[in-house]
Amino acid sequence: MKKIYYLLAIVLVLAPLGLISEYPAWAEWENEYYQEALGFIPQGIENAFHVKALLPDYTLSGLNDVVAYYLSGLIGIALIFGIFYLLGKKFAR
Amino acid sequence: MHIPDGYLSPLTCIATYAAALPLWVIAFKKLKEQLDETTLPLIASLSALSFIIMMFNIPIPGGTSGHAVGAALIAILFGPWVAALCVSLVLLIQALIFGDGGMTTFAANALAMGFMASFCAHYVFSKMQTKAYAPFISGWVGIVTSSIVVAILLGIQPLIATAANGEPLYFPFGLALSLPAVVGSHMLFFGIVEGIFTGLAYRYIVKNRIYKGAEV
Repeated sequence: MKKIYYLLAIVLVLAPLGLISEYPAWAEWENEYYQEALGFIPQGIENAFHVKALLPDYTLSGLNDVVAYYLSGLIGIALIFGIFYLLGKKFAR
Repeated sequence: MHIPDGYLSPLTCIATYAAALPLWVIAFKKLKEQLDETTLPLIASLSALSFIIMMFNIPIPGGTSGHAVGAALIAILFGPWVAALCVSLVLLIQALIFGDGGMTTFAANALAMGFMASFCAHYVFSKMQTKAYAPFISGWVGIVTSSIVVAILLGIQPLIATAANGEPLYFPFGLALSLPAVVGSHMLFFGIVEGIFTGLAYRYIVKNRIYKGAEV
């Protein structure tokens, strides 16, 4: 059972490799992209409601990108385990 | 593949939430049935693995990038409902804490990367599980089918929502662009990555007897 945590740890350590890509995902562009490509920004995209993210795009201002990426990974893992821990307390047999 | 806020019309958002809600309720019941001392840490770990694996943005020719999802691995081991719910939880955290994928589009993303990927991956695996390459194919099919859902949801936007002057209100590019860009890139690149990840992780889990194997 413990070995699944090794797998998780290895993948987490390698996570900053995900920063190598300078490219955004298709259809996850900045609004300026639409201005350049279309000459306008679709209204719905320009006026979209956005959640105020704690670590927008896995970054934290003032923090090195790699450190912020590790921090994001750890926060994500902690939240997931925390939620499952609570679910387990309530529901697990 | 995370659709941001503002890319889908309100009607699309409402329709996807309406479709996803009952599915989440059923999935939650299935998860409760499966949770016990052995499965809980493993299901939590696989969800965390899905979260981390989505951080590996892989650049591809053409100036875009993408990533694996990890839905197929959970679907193979714990069934499609549990997998879909785990991926939904990951997507919720990504949307709320990291602004990765929208909240209005959360249901759409969950239907694609959660439900579609998990059910298709699980179906494929159940049909060919005696084959050594079953996890690979299962991962590939799961992510490619989910990319079809995303491409369609994006591509229909200019058809269903335009301003008075004819400008698209939400996602502006139609199916002729979204299908080849989103589905094509997942068939050629990210599907392969998801397949390799699913294959390697499944092998690791079965070999080390972390879990008894397929729950089909």
